[in-house]
This record gives sequence, C-alpha cells and structure tokens, in this order.
Amino acid sequence: MAEEGWEPKIVAFCCNWCSYGGADTAGMGRFQQPASTRVIRVMCSGRIDPLHVFNAFLEGADAVLVTGCHIGDCHYVNGNEKTEVKYKFLEEMLQQLGLEPDRLHLNWISASEGERFANFINDVTAKVKELGPSPLKPAGVK
Amino acid sequence: MVNVGDMLVGYATNEDVRKRGASGGLVTAVLAAALEKGLVENVVVMKHINEFEAVPIITDDVDEVLASTGSLHSVPVNLAKYAMGRKVAMPAKPCDAQAVIEQAKRGMIDLDNTYVVGLNCGGSMHPVTTKKMLVEMYDIDPEDVVGEEIEKGKLIFKTKNGEEMAIAIDELEEAGFGRRESCRYCTLKIPVNADLACGNWGVIGDKAGSATFCQVMNDKGVKLLDNAIEAGRIEVEPASDKAIAIRAKVNDVMVNLGNTLEKEIFPEIPDEERMQYYMEPMADCIDCGACKEVCPVCACGEDSKCTMFHSLVDNYKMSMYHMVRLLHLSDSCIACGQCSDVCPSDIPITLLQSSFAIPSQRKREYTPGMNVDDVPPFFEVILK
Amino acid sequence: MIGNVYQTVCPGCNMGCGLYMREDEEGALAVDFMKSSPANLGKLCRFGMKLAHHYSKATSMVDGTESSVEDAVKAASDKLKGADVTMLGVGNTTNEESLAFSKVADALGTVVNTGMGVYSELPTECHPTVGVGITLDEIESANRIALFVDPYIQYPLLVRRILAAKKIGASVVSVGWKDLHLADENRYIDPDLYESELGLDSESVIIADVHPNTDPGWVKRMLNLALKTQAKILFMKPFVNATGVDLLCKGTGQKGISEIMDGINEGSIKTLVTLNSDPIELMPDGDAVAATLTKLDNLIVISSRDGPVNKMADIVIATEPLYAKAGSFMNVEGLLLNNSGESTTGIDAMSTLSQNLGGEAMDYQNLHNNVLESIVQKYTKPKYKELACEVLDIGPVEEKGNLIYLYNPFMWFDQSDDNDFVMVNMNMVNKLGLSKGGMIALTSDAGTVNMRYRVEDMPDGLILTAKKLPVATEWTTIVSTEAV
Repeated sequence: MAEEGWEPKIVAFCCNWCSYGGADTAGMGRFQQPASTRVIRVMCSGRIDPLHVFNAFLEGADAVLVTGCHIGDCHYVNGNEKTEVKYKFLEEMLQQLGLEPDRLHLNWISASEGERFANFINDVTAKVKELGPSPLKPAGVK
Repeated sequence: MVNVGDMLVGYATNEDVRKRGASGGLVTAVLAAALEKGLVENVVVMKHINEFEAVPIITDDVDEVLASTGSLHSVPVNLAKYAMGRKVAMPAKPCDAQAVIEQAKRGMIDLDNTYVVGLNCGGSMHPVTTKKMLVEMYDIDPEDVVGEEIEKGKLIFKTKNGEEMAIAIDELEEAGFGRRESCRYCTLKIPVNADLACGNWGVIGDKAGSATFCQVMNDKGVKLLDNAIEAGRIEVEPASDKAIAIRAKVNDVMVNLGNTLEKEIFPEIPDEERMQYYMEPMADCIDCGACKEVCPVCACGEDSKCTMFHSLVDNYKMSMYHMVRLLHLSDSCIACGQCSDVCPSDIPITLLQSSFAIPSQRKREYTPGMNVDDVPPFFEVILK
Repeated sequence: MIGNVYQTVCPGCNMGCGLYMREDEEGALAVDFMKSSPANLGKLCRFGMKLAHHYSKATSMVDGTESSVEDAVKAASDKLKGADVTMLGVGNTTNEESLAFSKVADALGTVVNTGMGVYSELPTECHPTVGVGITLDEIESANRIALFVDPYIQYPLLVRRILAAKKIGASVVSVGWKDLHLADENRYIDPDLYESELGLDSESVIIADVHPNTDPGWVKRMLNLALKTQAKILFMKPFVNATGVDLLCKGTGQKGISEIMDGINEGSIKTLVTLNSDPIELMPDGDAVAATLTKLDNLIVISSRDGPVNKMADIVIATEPLYAKAGSFMNVEGLLLNNSGESTTGIDAMSTLSQNLGGEAMDYQNLHNNVLESIVQKYTKPKYKELACEVLDIGPVEEKGNLIYLYNPFMWFDQSDDNDFVMVNMNMVNKLGLSKGGMIALTSDAGTVNMRYRVEDMPDGLILTAKKLPVATEWTTIVSTEAV
C-alpha cells in the first residue's frame, strides 16, 4: 500500500505544561524516535478543538495525537477533563466515518516522561506505517 | 378546568372551523383563543396556498389563524425557527416540538413564551413527489384533491366529488413514493414533548372525523386549553378508555413500522468501506449551505465553526463544513429531514447525519428534543 | 400576517428555481424554500441561498440628484424624444416588463437588444431549440449525457438531474475545463472528434450554454453535434427570463453587448437605455465598459437593483425589486412561472414613458394577456423542439487564452462570494513552485493580480476563475504566471 521508504506524517498536539515538556525531555534524553512527528504546542489540551484535528487530517496528517497533563495535574484545573469529553465524541465520529482507530490517540504525558513520549511516537509510527497513507490525505501531499 | 395528564376529546365550537379543520378544528381554535385572549402575541400558522403548498407565516390576526390550514402531510417544513424571539403559539409535528426544545436548551427560544400545540404525525411527504404519486398510483388529478389522511398504515386521499381512495403506505414506499425517508424511520408519532398532544387517533364513534383527541402534557397545555374553553372556542370531554386504547394501538403500529424500516434503511457498512460510503455523495456538494440554514436545531447563527473554517479554496477530500457538522449534530440531530429536502445535489444528508447521531445518542440513552431538562451530551464540557 | 412573503423565481439563471422571499417587519429579507416548485423542489444553489444580499435597492436619479420615479421618467422622455436610441434588456426581469420595454422601443422606432449576439448568427429555424431545450425531467431519462458546462459551479441545480439519470443507468461524459466528480469520463479532446468520440445517439442529451459572451462558432458546433448524433440539446442561459425575452423580442436583429460597446466606441451609438441589464457587470472587462459608457450622450438606466451602471447613468428610473413585481418568467424548458407580487412600478413607468414618446399606454393585465397569447400558447406544455436547421458552417474559431472565466451567477452580477481564487492543476503548482497557502501572480496587458489558488484535476496550463478578474480582457485572456 505505502511506497517503499514512506514516512508517515504525525501531528502531535502538546500542552505547554506537560506533554510539550515530555517531548522536550524525549529529545534531551536522546531517546530514539522517528522524524515523523510535527509537534503543535498549545497552552492546554483543552484548547484543542475537534476541528483542529479534522484540519490536520484534511491537510495530510496520517495520524493525530492529542496529548496533555495527567488528569488531576492540569495547569488550568480541569482543562484536560474537557479534552476528554470532546475526545470521546471525536473518536466515535472518526470511527463511524471509517478512519482507522490507530490514526487518532489521546495520551497523558508529564514533562518528565520523555521515554514514555518517545515510545508512544514509536508505537504510533509503526502502526501507521502498516496502515499506509490516510484516506483523507489530499492529492499532492506526500 | 383541565389537568396535566388529562386525555380529552374536543372540537371547535365554531361550526365552520370544526368542519374545515382536519378533525374537529380543535388545534385551530386553541391557537386562535391563545391569540385572542393575549396568552401570546403571535401565532405561527401555515397559510394555505393549495393542497400541496402552504407557507409558514407569523400573524397577530385571529382571522388569519382561523383561516389557516389543517395539517398537511405534503408540506414538510420545520416551524421551530419561526417561533424564535416571539411570544408565540404554534402547531407542531413531533419534530417541530423537538426542535423547539433543542433551541430552548441553547437559549434561543424561551419556552415560557412558546406554546406548542402538538399534532400526531405518521409522516410527511414531499409535495412534488406526492403529485406524481397521485397521478401514477391513485390515478387522481392532483387538482381534485381536497384532503388527505394517514390511517392504519394507509394513505387516504379525498377528492372534490367526495370519493376516498386508500393505498397502503408500504406499497407506495415500495414504488418509490410515500413518506420522506426520515419519516419512515421516525418513532416519535405522538408529540408527547409538546404542551398538548393532539390528533385524530382514538377519535371514534359518531365523533370520528369531527373531533380531536388531546392529551394535556404540562402546565402550559392546561393554560392553552383552559384559555380556549374560557373563550368559548372549544368544548372538551374526557376520552373513553376505548378511545385511549385505540390511540395507543395506532401509535404502536406506527412505531413498530418505524423500527422495522430503520433496519432496512440503514445498511450495515463494513469498516473499510465506510469512508468511501460517506465521501462519495458528499463530493457532489455545491457548498450552498442550505442544510445548515434550514437545520431547526442549529443555534450557531451565520458565523459558526462549520462555515468559518470552511473555505472554497481548500479542495479537501471531505469539506471542513461536513466534518464539523457530522460531529456537531451528533448529539442534537432529530432526523427531521429538512437538510435532505433542501439539498440541491440530492445528497441524503439526513441519512448520513443520522448514521452518526443515532448510535451516539443511543449509547448515551439520550433523545434530543424530548425534555428541556435533559442535558445535551456535548454540554458536559461546560459542566465539568 | 406580519411582514410579507413573496412567491418568486431565483434570478441567478434561467433554471426557474421557485422560492419564497420573506420580508420581515423591518424590511429585512430572508429566503425560504418553496418545496412545491417543479423545477427545483425548493432546492437552491449557493447564489439562491444568498439572494437576500443580492437585492440592493435602486434609487431614481436625474443627472446625479435623487428624484422621484415620475421626474426621472419625465426627464428620460425629454432626452429620448427624437433621439437615435439603442436599447438593451437581457432578461433579468419579467416577461411583462420586457414586453413593456419593447413597446417603448416601438414608440422610439427601434428594437430591444437582448445582448445575445449569437442569435443573429444562427439560422432562425434553430432559435426555438436554442431558446427552449429539452425539459429538465427529460435529462433524468437520458442514456448518456454530454456536459459542456460545469454544473457544480455554473448551473448547480443541474447536478441532481444528472445524478438522477446516473442512478438509472445513464453515463456522463464531461467535455469541460476540469474534471467533474459526477462524470464517468472527463475528456479533453479536439472538437472535431466530438461526434466520433463522445458516443452520443438519439437517447442522449447535450448540455451546453449560451450567454452574451459566447463564441457563436461554439454554439454552431454544439448544434452540429446534436444534428449529427440525433442527440437532444439543452442550452442553459444566465438570465432568469432569457428564454422569455428572446421569444418576446423575436426577429429584431439582436445585437450583442460587445457590438453595442463597439458602436459606442465608434460613435454610432449615442443614447443607450438599459432594462435591468448592467453592461459593466455583464462584460468580462468592467473597467473597459465603464470607460466606453462615458462616451455616451445619454445613458438611461431602468433597474430594480443598484449597480455600477446606475452610478454612471444620466437618469435612473428605479423600479421595485424583482421578487415584488407582478409578472411571469419563462424558464429554460419553456415553463411559465408566476410571481405572487402585485407591484407594477416598472410597468407604469414604462407606460408613461411610452405615452410621452407618442406610443401606447400599457397596463399590467394587458401585457400579461399579451404574454400569454404571444409566447405561452406555443409553450404551455414544455416540449422539446427538434432542431430544424441544417448542419452549420462553423467559421473561424476564436483563439483562446489560458485564463478562462467559469461563468456562474455570482459572476454575472459581479457579486462577491467565497471565490477569491483561481483553479490550476498540480503540474502547474509544481512547475511554478507554488507554496501551500501562497499566491500565483497572473499578468496580462491589463496588469497583474495575485491570487490564491485551488488545485483541481484539469488540463495543463489552464487557469480557471469563477470570479471576474481585473487582468481579464475577454472571457478568455492570455496571461503569464509566476509564483509569489
């Protein structure tokens, strides 16, 4: 399905206080991870609207990751709880639409969990490589 | 004095209204009395143009209410949006009443100022399809039709010279006519979500055809009826046990039919084919925006996520507009069928939207438009 | 009733889409769906949905100052008396007003030009077929449909008809400018090969269009294709009553708008009267037209809408908006559609004008009866008029540019829409090195414009626009391209 040597494009939404720190720690700790990820930093995962996720897919993302602080650790008290509510609907909707479940993930990662972040990216990349390019990817985008 | 929960049979006292009304003119008389006695300032009614055409108007003129049409199965519009921002009374199919309640949940309609007189509905039909059906199935000139009725699974047309002709709805729908698709799988036939639930199911004996069965659903329903009785516009009496049983039986038949048809209408689509199943018809979209404009539960206004993040310059595989709407309506879609009706590319939007909304709503045991106190699942975000 | 509800027809093209126009207590307009309308079942396209914004009230003016309709009519009569007058009415109004306009023309000893120059180059025998094509219902029963228009952008209410035909087995071939989703085949072939390659027969339907800027050679080609393959043909037109006005102004040696503009530039036309027809909006290069119009001695505009030509006019006679007029329209299939409105301001003004010029007085009822007699009797039951002409000599075909106008209702009224971009294919994106979210610069003799772009499947080198562009001088213009 996918061309030889094809690298998926993964868009990771990271919150400023936890998961972005996690991504940073992963880099600093030199954990092996593929170059497939594009990190978009937001102040809080609660800021991530389902339409951002749609837009990422429509612009050519092969997978989208919604990440934030662990429940209870939100810098804004309960922003990530709101993320969770929205995510449930988003997940259901994209599954009903026929998008493979492995293309969308929610994960809580703290700033110190660099290895967890790297493993997460590695896992998703491996799964998406098997799936091949997203059916929503526009023509002309690799 | 009537009470919440009362099951009544009533009719308009004015002979002319009683005769012209679909079944005893009770609804017309209740609406007229509400306006006359100042319970409301306006009434939304369907202005009759012909048997297949009526246009919703807002009026403060009692005569105009009295002159309005009875129920028309072939004028499928949703009236909720006409009621906005007014102190108003309106007739309502179950889906009209659902939309009113959904709008109220979103702060667009003040239920205290909105009186909803519900009408039983076995389904509605598209006017142009109906005319074609009359010629092809009934062999009746559409111009000769003076009335229609859905009863016991049959669609009945009355002609100028007093003839009646009935054909089973199954048979009509088999032939590609009959009710709109969303009406076929609808299971809300008696508007128990309105203030009054009126209709001719359960009107028996010498009253058949000249009285209305009416269930009082809430305090506003009490007010509407008391007001109309006081104004001398209607007379009511308690419905007999037999009448109540017959009404329930008719409803059961219709609801069972809806459940059966739902299984036929929604195909089981394998996971890997689903994306194509949705994308294919939506690729014919011409971006007119009519499906949003007409959506009776949409409370977003002109500038909303589905429109503001959608641009024609993007040639996405599926438009942002559709993706946002598929998600956004999954907790509030009432499958009224308006969007499919107005789609210039004949995309079965209601069907597609329902494929998302029905599972989502069932999973949460939530039915939109039934009770203003039922919190829409999306509102969880606000509450936490 | 609170407010008003008018039953009317969409002015976007001559499909004849019925709708309700709702006017609330404050006069704000909203469109409502008229589901019993036969041509469209109440469905509307993007233009129809935005119709409330289309109506901008015209104001009567005499030499730059606001006036009453009566004074404007009087001033117009004074200017027109004894003048050599050219009249233009493309059919953006009712049959009755168009007829009244042609009676004013009678009084002036002139004719009404419908702006469709192409008619005068076609033998009169084929006019009925060009005017009234096959019925819209018949499209649905075709076995094969050849599209020479882009229904999605140009005539959107055709989409459902074509899809309905496909559902019962029709195949669709598009011979347009870009790939269409609903087409089974998208062909970009030499016109000489249409007959042999498109697979049309007597059960097939050809859908094309004619408009003021149509190349006559192209229409002849379409007619020849229909004649040789026996396929039926439908010519869509951009004006709500293009069909009606053509039938009412028959045999007048109709001039195209560009011929009228040439006449003004040469000095042979000094006085122009327009009825709901704004040449600045209608012509590809509005600026050039505006410059031409300044050469007129007298420009008299009768219009229900405000537009750029109103601002240039010596006299504006403002009439009621289209939806409020008493009157009828004839759609592309020959169906007569009636407005529910009862206003006759426009007709009354033209009646006074006619009388002041020594012509007859007119009233709505007479005009309406006249319309019924003159055109409707022939067309009460829409029926396809078989082509009666011989195969035509096509003559020289115009050289085409690479920037092409994809005409649509917004474009004919030069009305803004979310269409501020051009369409190009992926090869051009790669060749020019266009970046995501970047712009493409288009340069012609008329200057340069930077545009956003949308990627489509279409032939190499072409650039399509659904919006009028200042760099365009004709419906097709040669432009050079570069990334910005």
